[in-house]
Amino acid sequence: MFFIKIAKTFTVTERKRKGERQNMDRKQRPAAVSKKNKRTFFQEMRKNWAYYTMMLPAGLVVFLFAYLPMPGLIIAFQDFNFVDRFKSPFVGLNNFKFFFTSSYAVQTTVNTLVINFNYLIWTTFLAVAVAIILNEIKGRVSKKIYQNAIFIPYFISSVVVGRLVRTMLFADAQGGVINQLLGLFGAEPVKWSTVPVAWPFIIVGAHLWQLTGYTSIVYLASIAGFDREMYEAASLDGASRWQKIRYITVPLLMPSIIVMMLLSIGGMLRGDFANIYAIIEDNGMLFKYTDVIDTYVFRAIKGAAEFGTTTAIGLYQSVVGFILVMGSNWLAKKYDKDSGLF
Amino acid sequence: MRTKKHGSIGDILMHLGMIFLSFICLYPFVLSFMVSISTEESIVRNGFKMMPEGFSLTAYRTVFADGSIYTGYMITILVTLIGTLLSLLLTAMAAYGMANEKVQYRNAFALYLYIPSVFSAGLVPWYLVCTQVLHLQNTLWAMILPSLVSPFNVFLMRNYFKTIPSSLLEAAEIDGCGVMKTAFVVVLPLSKPIIATISLFVGLGYWNNWANALYFIDERQLYPLQYMLYRIESLMRFIRENGAMANMEVPTQTFQMATLFVTIGPILLLYPFVQKYFVKGIMVGAVKG
Repeated sequence: MFFIKIAKTFTVTERKRKGERQNMDRKQRPAAVSKKNKRTFFQEMRKNWAYYTMMLPAGLVVFLFAYLPMPGLIIAFQDFNFVDRFKSPFVGLNNFKFFFTSSYAVQTTVNTLVINFNYLIWTTFLAVAVAIILNEIKGRVSKKIYQNAIFIPYFISSVVVGRLVRTMLFADAQGGVINQLLGLFGAEPVKWSTVPVAWPFIIVGAHLWQLTGYTSIVYLASIAGFDREMYEAASLDGASRWQKIRYITVPLLMPSIIVMMLLSIGGMLRGDFANIYAIIEDNGMLFKYTDVIDTYVFRAIKGAAEFGTTTAIGLYQSVVGFILVMGSNWLAKKYDKDSGLF
Repeated sequence: MRTKKHGSIGDILMHLGMIFLSFICLYPFVLSFMVSISTEESIVRNGFKMMPEGFSLTAYRTVFADGSIYTGYMITILVTLIGTLLSLLLTAMAAYGMANEKVQYRNAFALYLYIPSVFSAGLVPWYLVCTQVLHLQNTLWAMILPSLVSPFNVFLMRNYFKTIPSSLLEAAEIDGCGVMKTAFVVVLPLSKPIIATISLFVGLGYWNNWANALYFIDERQLYPLQYMLYRIESLMRFIRENGAMANMEVPTQTFQMATLFVTIGPILLLYPFVQKYFVKGIMVGAVKG
């Protein structure tokens, strides 16, 4: 989600810059654009070998860790074993059948979608609110203090978040922080590890806690770029602060909010593995509402070494993800011509 | 025309809201620190309290008496240092090639880097390549190589390089600098801001990564800090579910929180000095949002 958010914003800049560059090129050296000057592959290699040598290591790493696994997708159609490896017997679509006829398919897909959707909506909502408030607060010192405080959680790992959430806030014992709070109201302590319905909220809450500060900086940056004159004109016309927020800041932010949301749709089927697993781990009692596709896959590999089925699930995620990326990109472009990823 | 003065109700509400949010963000850190310097009995008796009744540094002493925290630190520092340096080198070199207009296949290469973000093979084939083809399990490289090149960082750096005036590069060329020399002598010193930003993000990523250790590392002496923390929690759960075995030391609450604080300590100490670079970095990627 983070990648897509920012990737979008810089491609827009990129495109504008490219446009400027092309204009410049056309003026200065028209010959460079014509087809005659296009070199053949070998001429190009001989001339610019140094540049390609510099690109090679990164290209190699990407090849090893992103392209080399792709042929491995064949396992999705095999009954994988470590003796025959990639030559394991083919079983057609059995792996897919196994997953999609099990109750896990619906359960994990729904959980993944629900959790990701809530991540997206609430992070955006809170971050925009925080950005607007921080923008309105006049005192430089207090503003700095607030910003520093809400940005800190971004810096710690998901394991630490998991520990804070599980063993301190939502501990089963009476001494857990939330149980202490409940105690203040005279309620009985809750054994949280046996209450599955609470955990999707806790997971989303932990995500908000970690990323609101970060995301609000993204929005604060775009608010800072808005035209000050508009606000001054509104003040002269007697607009209140609330009216300025309602009729200037929010409408101006809207395009970036909508585009960022559209572009996040591409990752909807990818679970937030490290964060969710750090909080839930292998507590089977909580799976009903918290088991996302990625945690299910991890357990299936760890526990039963089910390589065929899990590869099939991965393929399902990638294909649906690909369709979603293309679709949301198309929608984003339709909404605002400059804002597609590609 | 009415002008609002400081101290209006709106102002007060905004401050209250932000104070509340700041409190929520800081509270878990302060509380876990307080627990880590409490006596175990006071935690067992009263639960987690902001104001601990008994003060004790036993937990920290226990953490540092066990040698594994030092190896954990060493592994994490090694992974972070090697990973960040290599990642920067590869990112900068690739970005430099892609930033140059004369390079004919620069856009093809950009597409090549970008495709995996849209369509990936998924966890299992990736895992099998790492273990069966590259044999990374139980090596330091398992925690370094898989996250070495992020296309996003490459594009970010390429965009920065493009802002460097080409006349400067041409001048260097006329003065007889080769491609490599121009890159390292002319361009690199000009790119300090972007290098600082990207290295901080990459470094933080390496410091906090534990998933790769979860996938690939079984040997205790290779556990990075974050994964050690994770293992303690698993051990606790095992004890809760199965009861402690003979001669097994049960980690105490204070011990856990002390370990937690030792693993995030360096980050909290560095935070005041580096956070502005992170803010700048987010803005570089987002100005036109």
